[in-house]
Amino acid sequence: MQMAAEIVVAGMLVSGVLSASLESQGQPAGYVKIVTGTASITRGGVDRPAHPGDAIYQSDGLRTGAYGRLGVTLKDDTRISLGPNSQIDLSEFKFSPAEGQLGLVMKVLRGVAAFVSGRIVALRPDAVRIETPATIVGVRGTYLVIQAEYP
Amino acid sequence: MMRLAGAALAVVFAAACQCHVRIVQHATPTPHDIIALLKDPETEKVGRAVVSSTSGGSVELTHKRQATRIVVGQPPWAPFRFSRDQIDQLFGEALAALPPAPRHFLLYFEGGSNQLTPASEKLIAEILVFVRNRLVPDVTVVGHTDTTGAARDNIELARTWATMIRDRLVAAGLDSSLVSVVSHGEADLLVPTPDDTPNSRNRRVEVSVR
Repeated sequence: MQMAAEIVVAGMLVSGVLSASLESQGQPAGYVKIVTGTASITRGGVDRPAHPGDAIYQSDGLRTGAYGRLGVTLKDDTRISLGPNSQIDLSEFKFSPAEGQLGLVMKVLRGVAAFVSGRIVALRPDAVRIETPATIVGVRGTYLVIQAEYP
Repeated sequence: MMRLAGAALAVVFAAACQCHVRIVQHATPTPHDIIALLKDPETEKVGRAVVSSTSGGSVELTHKRQATRIVVGQPPWAPFRFSRDQIDQLFGEALAALPPAPRHFLLYFEGGSNQLTPASEKLIAEILVFVRNRLVPDVTVVGHTDTTGAARDNIELARTWATMIRDRLVAAGLDSSLVSVVSHGEADLLVPTPDDTPNSRNRRVEVSVR
């Protein structure tokens, strides 16, 4: 029993250190703007509840529960929202035009999502991609909705 | 009552769903994706998307409410058109959570000085009001130059301008924790020009409120 508790504490410490080091990696990709019901951010394998104002980073996962909705705005003005029972990964977000670093890859794993493109599409259209389990979408602008129906 | 409402809805949906498109929701639907292009309500524009199946084949969406359906292992369906009701039915929940559109304010300096033009000076107060009216705001102050001079130097120059504007906004009462400063140097022109071209509209600081 005591050993189990120690393992849990050690696990929490490790994940705390992990997420802290992940958070210190670069600038946020954007911020959570809208949350309804159950919604969470997955970072470094750890799931945490999402709140308006929370920072989003490259490689984060976003999830909603049965009555959840989530809306985020990225630094290049891209807007992404999720309906209930939905899951997406922000696989890539690079927005440093001065350094020639531009890229946005989003994976819609299940559920419904809306996507409104931002500056990255305007500056380098072929650097923006939405993927689902069966589909690759090359986005040339602007306003798209996606359903990924996987039981 | 609930069942009646559900049945009525199913009838409406089936009726709206003309015979050439049957996106009927079965108890255990075939795994699939649906991608639809909508008109941007802000700009009234319809963009473009190229939809490819991971197993080959692709279609292009170019009209409002044009959509395609992809079943794993098959090429995308020929594009078809959704009604407004069908879009609401399938995507309403996601669309309801879309954050408000960002707004951009462009600030200009008097030729070669650190003084804002009178029109830009007025925008400082307007920006503060706009930020205050947003529920969950974040602000980026982006410096931009024209293509005169070396790209490296322009990154530094644009950062100096952006930092000046950030300081002005914070002095006027903007919460500094909401603001970040970035420089796009000469890599994000408002007016496209060749290299080494002076252009007063490109020398600007852009305040983006999201």
